[in-house]
This record gives sequence, C-alpha cells and structure tokens, in this order.
Amino acid sequence: MSISLPQTGMWALYAREVKRFQKLWMDTIFNPIVSIGLYLAVFGVVAGDRVIHGVPYLAFIYIGLLSMNLINASISNPAFALIISKNLGTIIDLQLAPISPWRVGLAYALAALTRGVITLFVGVLLTAWFIPLGGIAHPFLLLLAIALTGIQFGIVGVAFGMWAKNFEALTFLTTFVLQPMIFLAGVFYPIDSLPSPWNIISQFNPLHHNVNLLRFAVTDYADGNPWRSLIIVITLLVAATVAMHYIVKKKLRAE
Amino acid sequence: MNPLSIQHVSKTYKTPKKEDLLAVDDVSLVIAPGSIHGLLGPNGAGKSTLISLIAGINTPTHGSITLFGLDVIKNPEAAKGLIGVVPQEVVVEMAFTVQEVLYYFSGMYGVPQAQRQARIDQALDDLQLTEKKHEKAKNLSGGMKRRLMIAKAILHQPKLLILDEPTAGVDVALRQKIWELVRRLNASGTTILFTTHYLEEAEQLCDAITLVNHGKVIKEGKLKDIQQEFSKNIIHFELFNKSVSHPSDVVATGSEFEFPMTNLAQDMNMITTHYGDNLKNIRSEAASLEQIFLTLTK
Repeated sequence: MSISLPQTGMWALYAREVKRFQKLWMDTIFNPIVSIGLYLAVFGVVAGDRVIHGVPYLAFIYIGLLSMNLINASISNPAFALIISKNLGTIIDLQLAPISPWRVGLAYALAALTRGVITLFVGVLLTAWFIPLGGIAHPFLLLLAIALTGIQFGIVGVAFGMWAKNFEALTFLTTFVLQPMIFLAGVFYPIDSLPSPWNIISQFNPLHHNVNLLRFAVTDYADGNPWRSLIIVITLLVAATVAMHYIVKKKLRAE
Repeated sequence: MNPLSIQHVSKTYKTPKKEDLLAVDDVSLVIAPGSIHGLLGPNGAGKSTLISLIAGINTPTHGSITLFGLDVIKNPEAAKGLIGVVPQEVVVEMAFTVQEVLYYFSGMYGVPQAQRQARIDQALDDLQLTEKKHEKAKNLSGGMKRRLMIAKAILHQPKLLILDEPTAGVDVALRQKIWELVRRLNASGTTILFTTHYLEEAEQLCDAITLVNHGKVIKEGKLKDIQQEFSKNIIHFELFNKSVSHPSDVVATGSEFEFPMTNLAQDMNMITTHYGDNLKNIRSEAASLEQIFLTLTK
C-alpha cells in the first residue's frame, strides 16, 4: 500500500458521497434522531431520576444512544452506497477512475464520518436541552473519540459494502450482528451490572470500547480503564484499515 | 510513443464449474498515435474482456499492457488517468443531475476545480445535453444516457478514448452524431479504440482494424490493405464504344468488361491509357468488411 497525500480525485469522490447523503437528509440525518428521541422519551419516563455511578441515567444512555447513532450512520452510509452502486453497475466508475483503492476506501470512510458527525451534531442540538449533562469532561478526547469511531466504522462499512453482494447481506449485518453488539456494548447500562460471564464477554465486544470512550469523554465515568479502550479502538481501526484496503483492491480489480 | 501496446496477453477465467475458460488467447496489438482503431469480432469473441484488461479492471493471466509506455498493472492510476473509457452497458447515477454527475466525475479524474465548469459546458455542448443538465440522470432517455457516458469519458481530455460498442441500440441520427464526435476528437489528437458490431461503422471510421474470434486475433492491419487482400482482384469497366481492340485477358460480361488484376495501380493505369476517352467508368471490386468478417469467422 503506497501512502501519499490524497489528491483531487479522492476529495471529489468524498464530496460526491457527502452530496449523496445530503440529498436524502430526511432519511440519513433525521430518521436516526427520531429514534434517539423515542428512546429518551421511553427511558426517561421509566428511569426517572435514577443515577448510575454518579451519572444521571438519562445522561448515561444519552451518550450511549449518540454512540449507537454514530456507529450506525458510519457503517451504513458507505455500505448502502456501495451495494447500490454494485446493483446499478455504477461501481465501474470506481473501477475505471485513476484513484488508488485505499483512497477510494478513505473517501467513502470520510464521507461516513461526516454523516456521523452531522447526525451527532443535529441530534445534540435538538435533544441536549432536556438532558441533565453537566458539561463535557474531556473535550479533546471527545473529538478524538468521535473521529476514531466514525472513521473506524466508516472503514468497516466500506469493507462490508465492497464485499456484500446485496441488501440482504446488509440487513443481516445490521439486524443480526450490529444491533446485538450495540445493545451488548453498554449503551443502556454499565456492563459491570451484568451477571458473570456476560460482563467479561462484553469486554470483548469491540463496540463497547467506542461507547466507553465516548461516555468517559463526556461524563468522566467509564466501564473499566478508558485508556485501554482508546488503545483497543486505535488497534481495531488499524486492523479495519488493512482489511478494507485488501477487500477494496480485490473487488475493484477482478482477478 | 504508442498509445496502446499489448504483448502476448492471455486471460483465463474459472467457470462456475471450476473449469478454465480462455477468454483472450495470446493477443498482441499495437495502436498507432492519432489513429481510429476498430476492434471487431462476433459476440463472445473476447472484445470486452480485452477492453477490461486495457482499462485495468481485469488482470491478464499472462502478458503485458502499456498505455503510453505505462504498465497498466504496475502503474494503474497513472495509466488510467490517460484514458477515457465508455463501457458497453449504460449505467447512470440515480441521485444526481447530469451537471452533478459530470462535476464529480471530472473531479475524480483530477480536473482542477477552476477548469471543471468549462470542461463540463464543452462536453454538454458536444453531446447536445446542455438543455438537460439540471435533470436527474436517471430520467434521461436511453440515447441521452449513452451520450452522458461519452461526456463522462471525455471530460479529462484523455489521450486515448476507448468506446465499447458506443452505438449499440442507438438510432441512426444519434449514431451519426457519435461518429462526428469521434472524428472531431480524433482530429484534435485523441487516439480512438472502439469495438462495434456495425461493420459499416468500422468502414466509415477506422484507419485500422483488429478482428478477434475465440479470444485470438485473426486479422489486423490497415483497413484498405485488408480490403485489398480480400478483394476479388478484378477490375470492372464500361466503354462508350465496345467495338475496339482489347488487351489480352479482358473479358466481356454483358454491358461491362472485366480484367484480372495483379497490381491495382499498374493495371488501372494500363486500362485508362489503353482506352483513353472511350472509358465510361472503371472500378475495382474491393471486398466489403462484412465479406472479410464472414470469411474469417466462419
């Protein structure tokens, strides 16, 4: 993999993918925010003034839900675009373009990050007023955690979108893999409240570390060592990047 | 430097039954700068596979392909930037307008932002799509979508333009427009390689052709040379006054006379000198590309 500075072609591809989700803003930006609102409304009523490890429960799940949103948006944006592209036959535009496979992947992953960040920003704007957050504990770590999580799952989405043959595969991924992993990542509860061995198993759920890091950055509370989560997130990002490059290269150039 | 040089290229696929399928078999081909080169052959001959190998979509099993001296395998991005490819299948983006499709596509091929709009306007004008630039690409007619695909391929002003069946399924008027555009691009210095089923099209446009069948090159060269090689070697002529002396070997066939040709230029000269003003008309019967094609592929 030759690494050189991204050039015009990659940024044009990035801009195209950003434009694509902007055209479907109701579905790509607001739809997930409605889901967050509904979760907050239900859990807000049920949980009342409950506090978890010094964090109001509503604030606890708020960060979890935003993390879930970021992960979902980042993974589905490139996966959806690439599967559509393969179905329509427009994938040939990527095969013919003078853009290296890793730059193609990076363009899609950055677009995914952009969608994730916009969704996050709009979501916070619309909902933060009724969440009992006491400010942001580690702002720079929060920016880093958002960037790492968005790009990591954007890259996973690229790899999956390139690999998957149809939308059934995407449905399978989101329904039977991603959603259970998100729900077992400590979005709605601290994992130390789980009985053994589920609390141990949850430590091996890669998504847990993204949620944990984001929650620590905002509330200063973490399920376990947040710096270990940071290292795991970075390690998984590197692994996902290597896998993505291999898959994109293989799929854009038939053997 | 030759725009395209293919050296002993073969491509083997695995069929669903895991058997080897030789789609391209030891093909060598060189395209001269500034030429219009036709790649002809029946369905399944290996034309599109060859195009996909040249465009860097597929990897040859054996052999090498260079575009303007750049190896397609070793320098894929640099090589791809020098060519424009119009694929056979018409595909368009669903979400974008014609203008947007061209804007992002030109960017993907490295056209600087400051030059993009001018290039897009020129391409829209060339392909007569200016009035449609704000329409969604998916709503265009089939012919317009085909034109949009050509517009995408010429935005970055490629040195070699590859068109895979560019006029398949288009009406006569649009075909003529595409021919005009191909000639204009060629006149401005773009080398053209195209595949076609329409032999008339190859006769109209090509300087040179390569005939492929079963993955092999079965004939290549300048169109005129090939036509002469396959011509019936007979000069036909008519006279105002038939009651004159004839050179030996001249045979009367109804209202015409025939002369067995050995060298076109010398024999034509001999006949025109012998009959002078008595010569009403004269022609050599060149073989049509269709006849050559059928002879070689049957």
